[in-house]
Amino acid sequence: MGGGDLVAREILVAIAGSPNVGKSTLFNRITGGDVHVANWPGVTLTRTEGYIEHHNVKIRLVDLPGTYSFSAQDIGELIAREFLVREKPDVLVVVVDATSLEKSLYLAIMAMELYERVILAVNMIDAASKRGLRIDFQGLKSRLGVPVVPISALKGIGVGVLLDRILEVAEGKTVRRESLKIDYDGLEPYIYEIARHLRIKGALKDYPSRWAAIRLLEGDDKIFEELNKVDHDLADYVRSVRERAEVELGEDPEKIAISSRYMFIDELVKSYVARVRLATPGLSERLDKVMLHPIFGPIAATFVILATFFLIFVVNTGFPLNMILEHLGYGELAGLVEEYSLSGVLGLMFDWFSTIVEGWMNSLGYNGWLTSLITEGLIGSLGTLISFVPLLLMAYIFLGAMQDSGLFPRAAVAYDNLFRRFGLSGRAFFPAALGMGCSVAAVVSTRGIDDDRERMVTAMTSPLIPCQARLLVLLTIASAAFANPLHQSILTISIYVLSFILYLLTSKLLNKYLFKVEHAPDLLMELPPYHRPSLRVIWWYARSNTEHFLRRAGLLILGLGIATWYLLNFGPSGFLSDGNIAGSYAAMLGRLLVPITGLIGLPDWRYALAFEVGFVAKEGLLITFSSIAGVPDPIEALRSIGITPVKAISLALAMNYYVPCLATVAALFTELRIGKYVIITILMELGLALITASLVYRSALFLGFM
Amino acid sequence: MIPLAFLMPGQRGRIVTLDVGRGKARRLMEMGLLPGEFVEVLSNSVGPVVIRVRGMMLAIGRNVASRIWVEVT
Repeated sequence: MGGGDLVAREILVAIAGSPNVGKSTLFNRITGGDVHVANWPGVTLTRTEGYIEHHNVKIRLVDLPGTYSFSAQDIGELIAREFLVREKPDVLVVVVDATSLEKSLYLAIMAMELYERVILAVNMIDAASKRGLRIDFQGLKSRLGVPVVPISALKGIGVGVLLDRILEVAEGKTVRRESLKIDYDGLEPYIYEIARHLRIKGALKDYPSRWAAIRLLEGDDKIFEELNKVDHDLADYVRSVRERAEVELGEDPEKIAISSRYMFIDELVKSYVARVRLATPGLSERLDKVMLHPIFGPIAATFVILATFFLIFVVNTGFPLNMILEHLGYGELAGLVEEYSLSGVLGLMFDWFSTIVEGWMNSLGYNGWLTSLITEGLIGSLGTLISFVPLLLMAYIFLGAMQDSGLFPRAAVAYDNLFRRFGLSGRAFFPAALGMGCSVAAVVSTRGIDDDRERMVTAMTSPLIPCQARLLVLLTIASAAFANPLHQSILTISIYVLSFILYLLTSKLLNKYLFKVEHAPDLLMELPPYHRPSLRVIWWYARSNTEHFLRRAGLLILGLGIATWYLLNFGPSGFLSDGNIAGSYAAMLGRLLVPITGLIGLPDWRYALAFEVGFVAKEGLLITFSSIAGVPDPIEALRSIGITPVKAISLALAMNYYVPCLATVAALFTELRIGKYVIITILMELGLALITASLVYRSALFLGFM
Repeated sequence: MIPLAFLMPGQRGRIVTLDVGRGKARRLMEMGLLPGEFVEVLSNSVGPVVIRVRGMMLAIGRNVASRIWVEVT
């Protein structure tokens, strides 16, 4: 290793840590937020990577999944362990929480047993000293034999030192010769025996032999299978040693091993951590008195979520502030709020852009289908894609703030009791809450649920919750059909209530009939102390996840958007230059669909056409009504095609459920990864739309309303 | 010896056995819920039981909390 090389070297550094120790914050701090978000191969688990340069060395940083151990019990643990064993990073940084070393050191100890080139990053030292904890870092370093760096990822303290240590370890300067040895008490003779056989036979060479022996004694299925494949006899022998150990020790070897690690940790904490003064019970405890209360908890969680959504709604679409202002007689101000909401501004920008391009192309002599393809098809679809950005960003900011502040797991606890009745855990509340903002965000957020089955179920059912786009359509339909604001509100609120009920009911049914599981997954969740969310962390989280989605689903959205443009602008007679939508393929298809829309009391090709367009984005329904009727105001347009209260209810129900929008379907594909489940989701929604809307229509007929 | 789920908020206990499946037991033990360890119940009403163990707050589903046997201390 030439220190004076002119060619920049590249090293691979992995960051590991348990949930809530600030691992992602550190990652963000080091990379400055310049990261690449992807998935770990074959699973929906986010993989974040970033590049930086330090003292002329290129460092490739990989953020390993947050796990409590390396036991390979779940996919995150397996991925983290496989990465260490197969990719052999030059340095492994393990992040621990200075305020709870007795807990967070567990993963670090396991890491040091498995790997030599480890650095211990002790995070949140500022919070620790505030709580009166004094840590002897030098002592820890000499006992563990690895560099120990005190840091505060949030404030950026110690990060430079950490990078220096990373280079030193990568160059082999401060590396231990072998991995950490812990006293496993009664297990030691058996460990020795198995390790010796592994060495003699040269089996499991990827792992330190002592480590592999301990894992085999603990009953690690993954390692056992690996051994069984290469040496069946040795595997049988190992199994017999394990059984013998259990009988002779009178205890499960696994329990002895885990206890031994914790005993080692207790010894470390006792020797190197001093509590110089007692922490005073703070805000955290008082807040928890409310959040963990059986009645006030769910109320408080609901209040926080609704208040946040009110804000998000206003910034995004102006609703409901614009309606309140209008009601109070400030019509002009209401218009301004709407116009300068994010989606208003973005819409204006895209209209402006498309007009400029159109004028420019016309001046070059193109005014046929090509201009339309570019201005309406391409820029239009791009506009659809971009219009998701604020929705997604805000939904992610909300999710990030909930997670970072510690409210997320508490709200999950608060809702658990209700959700269990439907085969879900309290965690399923979040996709539903986010769904009120954007179904795409709801579907993507399910990856925070670690139970695979629950994750799939909630991804499939959360699109039932009306998103902001559907809220807009819903309000327009309600205003067009009902003169009385009270009736409008009743329709809107009923649809929301029904949607939440359907979310829970369909989840229960999917659990029972598709996944054949009766019991809700048990919650086992850490509740970290509350803290003020860091804007930096939240912004980074929201930005990288939004980019990730746009990259994955962007092409699909553009492609299907252009396909829809083709159906709307071409007919049997070729390109419809006059914008006569009635002669398009889409209208033809709409006429074919009339028997189906007839079932819900809307036997009119114009509704069918609107449903087709609404697949791209639900606002498309309104745009279609406007362009068919030739009236810019969608409320007027709906009235001119003869909407009635009964038709309005039917249309509102059908619009809400008939199919998840294009972007949501794209998200379902990338999250579920099983085409069958996506199709089931779509059919389920279509079925719900037909059932609910035709029920309304049939009862109206029966009661003589029509 | 009583199940953890029977402890009132504020009560402390010492874990005796984990009467759950193998995989679940490993997970609980790795999160610090080892036999011999002291736990304090912080909240226990209808939903999950919230406890403090090793200085960390943990929410445990009622089912599992009913199978963790403790000695009240």
